[in-house]
Amino acid sequence: MSNIIAVQNLTLAYGKEEKIIDNASFLIKKGDFVFITGPSGSGKSTLLKSFYGNLKPQKGALIMGGLDMTNIKKSKLQELRSHLGIIFQDYRLINEWTVERNVVLPLWIAGYSKEVQRTQAKRLLHHVKLSGKEHKYPMELSGGEQQRVGVARALSKNPFLILADEPTGNLDEFSSNVIWDLLENACQQLDTTVVVVTHKIPSVFNIPYRHFTIDEKGKIYEIH
Amino acid sequence: MKFIKRHVSLIFPMVAILLGLEFFIVFDRTTKNYEESLKESYAMLVVATEEMSIDDFQSWDKRVFKVAEIEKSKIIDRVDNTFKDALKSNLDEQMPNFYSIKLNSYLNNRALEQVKQNFLKDDKITRVETFDTLHRSNYGLFSFIKFAFGTFILFMTIIGFFLIVKQMEVWNFLHSQRMKVMDIFGASLFLRSKILINMAFVDAILSAILASGVFYLIQNSWVKGSNIAILQDNVTKLFFFNDILLLCVASIVIVMIAVFLVVINVKEE
Repeated sequence: MSNIIAVQNLTLAYGKEEKIIDNASFLIKKGDFVFITGPSGSGKSTLLKSFYGNLKPQKGALIMGGLDMTNIKKSKLQELRSHLGIIFQDYRLINEWTVERNVVLPLWIAGYSKEVQRTQAKRLLHHVKLSGKEHKYPMELSGGEQQRVGVARALSKNPFLILADEPTGNLDEFSSNVIWDLLENACQQLDTTVVVVTHKIPSVFNIPYRHFTIDEKGKIYEIH
Repeated sequence: MKFIKRHVSLIFPMVAILLGLEFFIVFDRTTKNYEESLKESYAMLVVATEEMSIDDFQSWDKRVFKVAEIEKSKIIDRVDNTFKDALKSNLDEQMPNFYSIKLNSYLNNRALEQVKQNFLKDDKITRVETFDTLHRSNYGLFSFIKFAFGTFILFMTIIGFFLIVKQMEVWNFLHSQRMKVMDIFGASLFLRSKILINMAFVDAILSAILASGVFYLIQNSWVKGSNIAILQDNVTKLFFFNDILLLCVASIVIVMIAVFLVVINVKEE
């Protein structure tokens, strides 16, 4: 199995302040489902940010899908991001766009035809149990529904890697279950690598997974 | 309503700037004409003990454009045309040479004085008459109108720019979240700003059309109906068809600079 994320002696920090992640080393392979847990402020989200190029490593190496993130060019970063599926705790939907348009954003960026976009939106909205809400606007949906739109968007271009930052934080049980099912299926059926940052691993999880934890000093340990 | 508000908030300052620009162009065009006529109608008088050529005058001052010798007989005739021929001939020999000097531009009084002093440096020049009182009043009025109009245009342009800066803040508020999300999903700079560019482009064209329309109406309706001679004489200079193109280009350039500044200031979260 090929490496999707390779981390070697990685140190992350904002400016010259205290280290957020300190000297981390690990490998994440294709098809892995990874949970990253840790106390608040331990650097879980910061680590995820570095995976999609929002924060450059201060020291060490970070290789994402074969690309060195330390000196990555903007064009290469855009290419990498276009193959990722990213889910945020605060959804980050485009409020002036309809649900359908939000879902197909990655396809629109990649230049897919309107027909492909419409078909894919219909299919994904069915999977996230939002059929019939294509023409609604995000502000007309509940938090759980908005997050399901966010998940549909992340899956729309069949990414090789899904990065999820607290995807079910503060969501109702129904929405949480829908999201975990979708992420499990993506990993199991499509061999997509999934990295989830969360406070709590769901009590019922049906596929094998790896579990990393970050302590308050920014040290990362694999515990499962 | 929201749609109209969004567009008007850019179109309004853009029209103000474009009207300022077009006023400046029209004013420059008409004043150049007026300046030319002032220059044409102005001449200095120089009295010299010897015959002079244009090269002599130009060697003293480069601003000399044309030199015409005033025939002495004409001067004598103007003084008294009852003189006998013998007396006339005698006077003709005794009199110095008179020259009418035209300059290559319409100079202010200080520059005129400088030209005068340059001529007087030569001993052969005995007198220079610049008619500076008349010149001063013409030039003063002309300069005042130019200054007043320039100030008005500058004021209009500054207000327009302030309104555009305000609009840029509104754009930043309305579009930055979308651009940030698109950036995270790998959209290029162009794709991220495409919606803003399209909107701004349409507004730029509309603003240029509106500003052109105002001048077209001034030229074809208001001026023709007014009894202001100076405007009616210069009616063709008020608006050229090429001005539409110029206003479009200026409008697009200003708007695209504003869009570019908004887009590059959207920072990743």
